[in-house]
Amino acid sequence: MRLRTIGYFLRETGRGLTGSGWMSLASVTTVALALFVLAFFSVLSLNINQAAGAINRQVEVRVFFKPTTTHAAEMTFVTQVRHWPGVRRVNYFTKAQALNQLRAQFPHDQALFQLIKQGNPLYDGFDLYSHKAGQIPDLARRLRSTPIVQEALDQNLVIQRLQALTTVMTDAGYVIEIMLALATLFIISNTIRLGVFARRREIQVMKLVGATDWLIRWPFLLEGVVLGLVGAGLADVAVSFGYHWVGVQAAKSLSFFPLAPTATVEHSTELPTLVGGVAMGLVGSLWAVRRFLRA
Amino acid sequence: MIRLEKVTKRYPNGHVAVDQATLTIHRGEFVFLVGPSGAGKSTLARLLYHDEVATTGEVYVDQFRLRRLRRRQVPHLRRQLGVVFQDVKLLNERTVYQNVQFALEVVGASTHDMRQRVPELLDLVGLANRHRSLPAQLSGGEQQRVGIARALANRPKYLIADEPTGNLDPETARGIVQLLAEINRRGATVIMATHAKDIVNQMQRRVVALEGGRIVRDEARGVYGYEA
Ligand SMILES: Nc1ncnc2c1ncn2[C@@H]1O[C@H](COP(=O)(O)OP(=O)(O)OP(=O)(O)O)[C@@H](O)[C@H]1O
Ligand SMILES: [Mg+2]
Repeated sequence: MRLRTIGYFLRETGRGLTGSGWMSLASVTTVALALFVLAFFSVLSLNINQAAGAINRQVEVRVFFKPTTTHAAEMTFVTQVRHWPGVRRVNYFTKAQALNQLRAQFPHDQALFQLIKQGNPLYDGFDLYSHKAGQIPDLARRLRSTPIVQEALDQNLVIQRLQALTTVMTDAGYVIEIMLALATLFIISNTIRLGVFARRREIQVMKLVGATDWLIRWPFLLEGVVLGLVGAGLADVAVSFGYHWVGVQAAKSLSFFPLAPTATVEHSTELPTLVGGVAMGLVGSLWAVRRFLRA
Repeated sequence: MIRLEKVTKRYPNGHVAVDQATLTIHRGEFVFLVGPSGAGKSTLARLLYHDEVATTGEVYVDQFRLRRLRRRQVPHLRRQLGVVFQDVKLLNERTVYQNVQFALEVVGASTHDMRQRVPELLDLVGLANRHRSLPAQLSGGEQQRVGIARALANRPKYLIADEPTGNLDPETARGIVQLLAEINRRGATVIMATHAKDIVNQMQRRVVALEGGRIVRDEARGVYGYEA
């Protein structure tokens, strides 16, 4: 392709973009919105997965005693449980030990210190390990039916639930995404169509003097791609700032919830948004020129 | 060479605009297409530059068989044909120079070629000193000259003019036809659909007359033959 021809494309693309100013703005905005929502869902799943990953997979059942239980009663129960069928190992911990562990894990958490100052909100309890994974649900049920037990968490079940949540979220994301993508395509293709309409005389002349279809199409396709890219850029900026803000808020109030770092989020959303933006721009403009550049 | 073999054009609404037309036009000829309004002159012209496709029969333009022309080949055909219209179809926001340049630019001409060719063309049509004017600043005749210059930009072998003088007074029209004659003298085949009785009679060129889509007359040195 000649340099002159590239120059022609760029000039025509620029004319197209500025020619339909408000529509271009509307296109960019919808692209950005659609991609932001895409990023939002992927970031949410990313964080749920992260949370699932942070759960100690080694521990099989984590048991908490009711706060009113005496230490002696707790120790008696732990000794009994050690002899239950299927139980391989039991690791007892006091709420003071649990607190120390939290503190070691999140040494810089101000909110946590505030909370602790008012008293230890945690529970005594123990981690239980079984011989066979299949025994876990029965053991958990038996533990829960014990009066002094506040809660017995089947860790695998928690992970499974988080994974199920991710699936639901992703599916909902797809549905919303498809609708947004369609709306975006509609607006982009109308923007481009407006440009085609504004330049119908030129297009007519170009065809008459023997310009190829592709020479006529390219500026419109490029225009679509530029709209998509600018939208993607805006979405990425919004994701970065938005997520940073969420991170700051989260650090203040629930820092022991393991949020994925901003850099990870940016890395995982940039490529999909750029690809999505370009794809929507290209498809939208192809759609527009297909219908209007016949014959 | 242009050749029509039993060409019929039936529009989608069922109207037959060209009916079993057979016609040969050799290189270098100057041909008037005449006939009453609705006779099919414009349709015949549009068949030549593949704006419409014949329903039956075949149209040949040099090596191109137009009913079988692939989409990708249309631009190649169009570069062999210059087309001029009654409503010139100039780009109003571009200058005379840019309008002519546009035709070269969009077929990928080099900057060097364009710098040479555009002034040459404007000179040919007598508008060398108006190259910076916008179409709105030109008279009808001058606008049509720009249209002709643009049609000639890519050195077409054929010039198809559909009522190029339809909007012009007789004097200006004569000027335009003289320009077409000059272009023809330089080698291009010219096909002109017209209602301009005086001009046709005066020029004494080949006249093909259409009526109801049929070719009813084809004379080497013909006359208009209708009351204008
Ligand atoms: N796109 C179309 N669809 C249907 N009918 C058409 C179409 N174009 C032209 N016609 C009809 O075909 C016939 C021939 O039209 P055409 O334009 O070729 O005539 P013409 O000889 O150029 O007339 P004029 O001298 O008025 O320009 C007319 O009856 C016209 O109504
Ligand atoms: Mg006509």
